Amino acid sequence: MVSPLYIIAAGLGGAFLLGLLPEKWRTAAYGVTLLALAAMAGIAGSWLYAFAVQGLPGVEIFTAGTRPPFAINFRAGMAEAALALLITMIGLHSALYMKNILFKQGRRAMAVLLIFIMALCGVIFTRDVFNLFVFMELTVIASAGLVLLSVDRRALGAGLKYLIVSQVMSILTLVGIIFLYHVTGSLNIDDMAAAQINTLQGGAMAFFLLFMAVLAELKPFPANGWALDIYESAHPAFSAIFSSASGGATLYAADKLLQIGGDTWLPAVTVIGIVTFIAANIFALVQNNDKRLLGYSSIAQVGLLLAVVGQRDILGDSYYYIVGGILLAHAVSKAGLFWLSGLVAKRELTDWAALRNQPVLVFAFATFLALLVGLPPFPGFYAKWDLAHHLAADGRLWLLGLILFGALVEAAYLFRWFGYVIKREADENGLTWQSIKSDVAFSAVIVAWLLAYLWGYLSGHGNLLHAIPLLFALAFLPLEWLPAKIKNVLAIGGLLYWFYLNYPSYNPLHLIFAAVMLPGGALILLASFQTQKRRIGFYPAAMLMFAGLAMLINAQTSFDFFAAWETLTVGSYFLILRGKYSEPHALSYLVFSLGGAFLILAGFSIAAQGTPEFPLAALAQVAQPYAPWVFAMLAIGFMTKTAAVGVHIWLPGAHAEAETDVSPMVSGILLKAGLFGLFTLLITMGKQQLYGVELTHVMLWIGAISALIGNLMAIFQEDAKRLLAYSSIGQMGYAVFGLALMNHLGWLMALMFVINHYIYKSMLFLSVGGVAKRTGTRLMYRMGGLITLMPLSFIAVLIGIIAMSGVPPLSGFGGRWIFYNAIMTTDYRLPLVIIFIAGPIAFLYLFRLIHTIFLGQLKDEMRKIKEAPFWIILPQMIFVAALMVFALVPGLALRKVDAYMSQFFEGNGSLHWEGLTITSQFGYWSPVQIMIVIGVIFMTLFLWLLFVNRKAQKVKQFNIVFAGERPYRPETTHYAWNFFAPYRKALGFLTEPLVERFWAAVAELLHSAADILRRFYTGNGQTYAIHLLGFVIIVYVLWMGGKS
Amino acid sequence: MMQALESFNWMRIPYALLTVFIVFNFGFLMNATIQKIAARVGRRHGIPVWQNYVDLIKNYALRTSITHGVMFYLGPVFRLSGGIGLLLFVPIIYGSDMFSNFSFTGDLILALYFVFFGTLGMALGAAESGHPYSAIGITRGLSQMTAAELPFALAVYSVALQYQTLSITDIVAAQQGGVLHWTVFTNPLAVAAAMLSFLGSMMRPPFDVVLAPQEIPIGPPTEYHSSFLAMMQTNRALFPVAKMAVYTSLFFGGAASWPVFFLKVFLLYMWSAFVGVVFPRFRVEQSIRWFLIWAVPLGIISILLV
Repeated sequence: MVSPLYIIAAGLGGAFLLGLLPEKWRTAAYGVTLLALAAMAGIAGSWLYAFAVQGLPGVEIFTAGTRPPFAINFRAGMAEAALALLITMIGLHSALYMKNILFKQGRRAMAVLLIFIMALCGVIFTRDVFNLFVFMELTVIASAGLVLLSVDRRALGAGLKYLIVSQVMSILTLVGIIFLYHVTGSLNIDDMAAAQINTLQGGAMAFFLLFMAVLAELKPFPANGWALDIYESAHPAFSAIFSSASGGATLYAADKLLQIGGDTWLPAVTVIGIVTFIAANIFALVQNNDKRLLGYSSIAQVGLLLAVVGQRDILGDSYYYIVGGILLAHAVSKAGLFWLSGLVAKRELTDWAALRNQPVLVFAFATFLALLVGLPPFPGFYAKWDLAHHLAADGRLWLLGLILFGALVEAAYLFRWFGYVIKREADENGLTWQSIKSDVAFSAVIVAWLLAYLWGYLSGHGNLLHAIPLLFALAFLPLEWLPAKIKNVLAIGGLLYWFYLNYPSYNPLHLIFAAVMLPGGALILLASFQTQKRRIGFYPAAMLMFAGLAMLINAQTSFDFFAAWETLTVGSYFLILRGKYSEPHALSYLVFSLGGAFLILAGFSIAAQGTPEFPLAALAQVAQPYAPWVFAMLAIGFMTKTAAVGVHIWLPGAHAEAETDVSPMVSGILLKAGLFGLFTLLITMGKQQLYGVELTHVMLWIGAISALIGNLMAIFQEDAKRLLAYSSIGQMGYAVFGLALMNHLGWLMALMFVINHYIYKSMLFLSVGGVAKRTGTRLMYRMGGLITLMPLSFIAVLIGIIAMSGVPPLSGFGGRWIFYNAIMTTDYRLPLVIIFIAGPIAFLYLFRLIHTIFLGQLKDEMRKIKEAPFWIILPQMIFVAALMVFALVPGLALRKVDAYMSQFFEGNGSLHWEGLTITSQFGYWSPVQIMIVIGVIFMTLFLWLLFVNRKAQKVKQFNIVFAGERPYRPETTHYAWNFFAPYRKALGFLTEPLVERFWAAVAELLHSAADILRRFYTGNGQTYAIHLLGFVIIVYVLWMGGKS
Repeated sequence: MMQALESFNWMRIPYALLTVFIVFNFGFLMNATIQKIAARVGRRHGIPVWQNYVDLIKNYALRTSITHGVMFYLGPVFRLSGGIGLLLFVPIIYGSDMFSNFSFTGDLILALYFVFFGTLGMALGAAESGHPYSAIGITRGLSQMTAAELPFALAVYSVALQYQTLSITDIVAAQQGGVLHWTVFTNPLAVAAAMLSFLGSMMRPPFDVVLAPQEIPIGPPTEYHSSFLAMMQTNRALFPVAKMAVYTSLFFGGAASWPVFFLKVFLLYMWSAFVGVVFPRFRVEQSIRWFLIWAVPLGIISILLV
């Protein structure tokens, strides 16, 4: 094997060789550059292979044949080799990417590039501080030169500012090194580390100066304005190197230097890192320029890494796994994104919509974002999990909270950007397409997935890329060329087969959720046969969601559960985003869901208390005083998914704007994931008290208020799908309420709602979706009288609303009956009042739904409307049948789970299922007999009326009693708009969008703060120098406290 | 299923029909009597007590050739099914197997929710007529109902808690043994809430803007005529009595014989008639506020105290 020294040699040699070549031999010069870079990468790769696979221990290389301090030594271990490989690969790819500009600029530019990459490798390998200084100086000078490769004229200024700032850093470094040498008598890092400089006179000060210089290279807040200008104006390929390779190398240098400073410096690093992470992410919120945004994001990521480096005292063996995961995710994604930015002609974020001209680029973009944010199955996800667990185990919860907050902000602006890409108008000429550039960018995608596999392999939690459901979902990506109908068959087959496979292993409770999610999903997918052509993007997203759901039910450990949770969140986000106008709503959904997911992560981490993961059942053993906090975090996390009041504002838009067949999926099925989580939580943790407040009691109130607000909001909607969406908030409120009752029947009622809500809400969303498809509007007052034109849709809605209203004999009544039995034993009666108020309000919106669409006056322009398409009607009719069966024999679904749940409540309160009658401790109910009695009365009267009026004919629409006049137009005769005006007068004050205003204010506050504070970066080199100075002084005052 | 059919007591059907017949006639006569009393209060002479029969026979006899569609047809069917169903789902005469009809199929909750069956069906039927006044009447009715039914629901819950059962028969049984055992004395707040709620569901002033019977041709029945209307008139005799049977059972010790039943129902009815002739009409939002402010707190206190 070749010595790592040859990495440096190859770079230097290549650069010298370039100097010897004639100016005109561009191709040869370019060839030499690539060859040198490839050789460097090859050597780094071979060493990485040796360390990682063959298990070689780290090696020391003594350059002058003597040991330090008399000569410089290099060290190569796994981390060094990996970083060197990363840097050289990014260098190589960027060189390929920059082919045109390098050809234009000639061999000098190529030489500078080689020197740059070589110097970065040197920074990594060297163990000598002065040598480190030399290499860093080389990178600075090379950077300033490479910045000029850009066609952007601002690059000149940016390069100059960088030089000014780096001069300050150089001075600091040199002074620091001189003092360190004075104190320790060595330039070798390991010798200095052994010398314990903090105990020596002047040692701390010396280290401070040196360390500040390296830190400043990492662009900490606020001394980072210069870096932003570089990111914004430099050539994208250089920005890629600058962000990924320079960032990685300098971070490693900082990590090395910390060995000198010792653990006392770790808190300082942590604080600098986290402040940078949060500040940069908040500033990024208001950026419109893509490269500047990426610049902020780079700074943020390096800040995060710095904060993690500050945790090395507690991370132990997993330090490199965590830092490496975050660093590689950042490096690969940022390089990929910068490379992509070179393909986009214009610089506004919205201009990236042009990526849609090449769908594969959208996939690349999505991969990079997921990698950057740390979504499963990418390395950042595993790293995030481990990091959170370590932080929680050592009580550094404030840091965990800040990291998660920053990550949420980052996800918000990144996915807002993704929304632009998917939804904004795509300029046909918006891409400056070059196959070499896109190949380079796509290579990063491949690396991203390889890393995903690698980190999964290395993780102690099992590889997510071995999870069959996830693989099945991902398999739809290469199948995108197939027609949608074939993919639909595959999807349905997959869902059913997975259910069949796992059927024996489900317990009765899981079975109900699994049945709703898997065969239930397949049933809704029938409606997807309606779509034509290929429907690109739908199946991977939908199947990702279903994969997450399937994994959620099977999850045994906290890690599996969380991975499934994030998977289904991401999948459903992509799915929701497909709606025509759903861009802001999908974003809102994602932000709330990720916020909830982060709470769940924090909850699991605190519960774990040091173990990397635990069986879900072990939630029961979480010790005081953590247990109530864990409970609260998990509960809020799950309730973001059920859209409990306070965190519900994402739901109406997301469900209403989704596609026709997506709305039932995300409403009928996805919401149940939250209930599943709550079930899991309550089964294991039971009742918890926080400051003397019973948390399930709080949930009781939340459920009740959600039910009221959801129902109340629903009655004032003009948009049919929004009405249904608000109704879901109400229905989930009931379910949460049932769970929070913490008795047997309450849970049974929640399950009843799981089944019922799935059936009728899916059915209603399909009917309304079909109607909207035919009429071209979702505004109910624009419809009317469609009953004769769309009779089957009408029947579905009719059955649906009777069931939902809880009127006997349909299945909704069962829910109410169990509800009344459940509340007979509860200790808390006050929240019940709210539920009682909410109940009858449902009648209002349900009636409005059916009246304004199907009854009343038919509009002229809708006289030729046809029934909804067959494939949308078919599942509805199946739902009608299912609803009838469930109404008659609820025991079919509930009997087993009723018995199963007895174990949690010691048998009390369960129902007795004797024949067709169900009895409880308090009352009785025979669904079949009720149905027969009502049916007989109803049919008798109906037949009799038919007989009496056998000659009656249907009269024309306007043939009504109208004070002797004839109504003028259907529009003026159809009473539909602002339907419940009196109600608004009486109780409208309850529908003030307080929660929406609150969250809007939070978002506005973040944006305004960012907008004001970013003015801090004036673009003036002198200001930046002052920032740097200020930064140094602040750190000095806070950490050194005047020590010398 | 077959076993249930074999064990079914087929005599229940003629008994049920008998119950309907008795209540129907009682309801008709009582409606007319109350109308007459209300007229006398207003210094009018009022209708003869048999007038409603005449109207009903006339309406059934009228032949129509007009319908507005399927749901229009079904509206009155829903309405009357709701009335008859409710009557048959509750035990009318305490201790009488003959007149307990189909109360074995469900308990108090069935009665509570089955009340809405007719309302909802009727609303659907009226809406298909396409007449805006029908729709306006329905929105008013439903809006008012959400607030008016609330104190009743609270009272029901309070009573169920008090007696620890949801079975109507058991609740009546618990009130036997003297007037002072009646719920009205053992749980007066619940009964007060329920009695205020009662006013809202009787379609009498001050809560009758839904139907606005005299001067404004508005409300769900706007487009109904002939036998459709007759069916609804039939229901207007049955449904209130069925509902008052529930009230009697829950709050006033039930009725062990028909005369007691007639008396209690009549007095209950008089309560709404009495309030109706004294107070003028509320607008819908006023009545919603009225129920929320005056009746609901009573119900809340009653469930907290039980």
